[in-house]
Amino acid sequence: MKRRRLLVALPAAVATVAMLPQAALAHGLVGRQDLPIPQWLFLYGAIAVLVISFVGLAILWPAPRLEAAAERRVCSIPQLLDAFCGAIGVAIFVLLIYAGFAGSQEAASNIGPTFIFYIFWIGLAIVSLLLGDVFKAFNPWRAIARGVGVVAGRTGRGALPAPMPYPQALGRWPAAAGILAFAWIELVYSGRSDPSNLAVLALAYAAVQLVGMSLFGIEQWNRNGDAFGVYFGLFARMSPLRWTREGLYRRTALSGLTQIDPAPGTVALLCTMIGTTSFDGFSAGPTWGEIAPRMTDSLRNIGFSQSLSLEIAFTIGLIAVVAIVAGMYQLGVRGMRSASRTQLSGEELGARFAHSLVPIALAYVVAHYFSALVTQGQAMFYLVSDPLGDGGDIFGTAQTTIDYTFLSANVNWYVQAGALVLGHVAGLILAHDRAILIFEGGRTATRSQYWMLAVMIAFTSLGLWLLSAAGT
Amino acid sequence: MTVLPLAHVSHWLVNVLYLVPLVLIVGMLAVSSIKDRRAEAAEAAGSATSPAVEPDENAAP
Repeated sequence: MKRRRLLVALPAAVATVAMLPQAALAHGLVGRQDLPIPQWLFLYGAIAVLVISFVGLAILWPAPRLEAAAERRVCSIPQLLDAFCGAIGVAIFVLLIYAGFAGSQEAASNIGPTFIFYIFWIGLAIVSLLLGDVFKAFNPWRAIARGVGVVAGRTGRGALPAPMPYPQALGRWPAAAGILAFAWIELVYSGRSDPSNLAVLALAYAAVQLVGMSLFGIEQWNRNGDAFGVYFGLFARMSPLRWTREGLYRRTALSGLTQIDPAPGTVALLCTMIGTTSFDGFSAGPTWGEIAPRMTDSLRNIGFSQSLSLEIAFTIGLIAVVAIVAGMYQLGVRGMRSASRTQLSGEELGARFAHSLVPIALAYVVAHYFSALVTQGQAMFYLVSDPLGDGGDIFGTAQTTIDYTFLSANVNWYVQAGALVLGHVAGLILAHDRAILIFEGGRTATRSQYWMLAVMIAFTSLGLWLLSAAGT
Repeated sequence: MTVLPLAHVSHWLVNVLYLVPLVLIVGMLAVSSIKDRRAEAAEAAGSATSPAVEPDENAAP
């Protein structure tokens, strides 16, 4: 009898609640009104997909498939290509620095801010997923260091001194700090729109990279310390393509992630990547809209200026959201450890499963920035013709404008929700594959993964909530 | 007197909907782990109280 009542009451409750968002929409959600179902219902659909994927994996994926996936050589690559790409990277870097100092100081008229925040930060992340580690070839700091190394080797009398061994304890901590610093500049720093400020910061970053590479070796530093090298390198490991200086290889998508060494700082880096993107969404929503003014008022009462109060409040918010994301992951790892009764410490287990966070980090990037890339990215059509904003028209495209109707609100929402679902399913697959290996298959592996399912549901809920909150 | 924010109930109720699945799954996991621990404790207690098997003196060496 109770079950019957439940069967009647549950759909009735769902139908009643489904009417609620209409009331919320009356307060000004633009462009999403014609979605066939309310936004929150997408979350329940996404969770259904995750649960079905979880069950499917438990039944149909009994042995690790990604951990030892083979790769095939597609073709060889000319030796000169690496140097050629590096030269292009250096040329772009020099142009951005020059434009920053010599060009217009209006952000929309100067190629610097648009290139750095949209094409480089967002576009290259998506290109890395599709084509592999393209950034490594175009990395200007790596190219400069390699060029200096070649010249010094030929002109110097003896061999160059061997680089110092990279400290194991340092791991990927420099990259985590670099990504946090970049996110701070993008989301908090009041001078972020000033092209000359960006040029100074880019030069400072380049100097740090050159020092790091000269101390610890180019490739070693590139793998661990260069924030952007590590950031794009992680996304590239999801790609079915792998580039080396000798050739191009094809592999199973996602399998590259299983080769990530669990170096210290990897979990912190991934939580920073997810947390900073989350804060970007959160800071656009009504909850932060209520918290931030109270914080800035309190800070102003202490004696800080308006702009500094705002920066401090946003810095606290940014760090708090990164800490919340890290806390969510650590809770999942603790649960997994308790369910599996493994001898591994929580830290070790967290590092072993950290690779499952990479697709989630990319999903968050796509979900939060796809519309920005598609709309603001169009500015590149006129900026390539007039990079300094001084009235030039090199390619005859300086008069083009941004078409803000190019991406409809509905398509944007489907891309955002789709990216989140796919990213979390990919995370589940990676975690399941690793669990079979660590816990030697069977029930223990499945039982441990209940907690990873909870982590994935938590991140999906957070992601969709942030998107819906930012839109209302 | 505390006033309930009923005028904008739909705003926060929609937010709550995003939290429900997480609360449900964490609740289910917590209950299942408590059950597992109890079952294990009962099993351990059972094996501790069961009489040890005495060696058969007539068994062949």
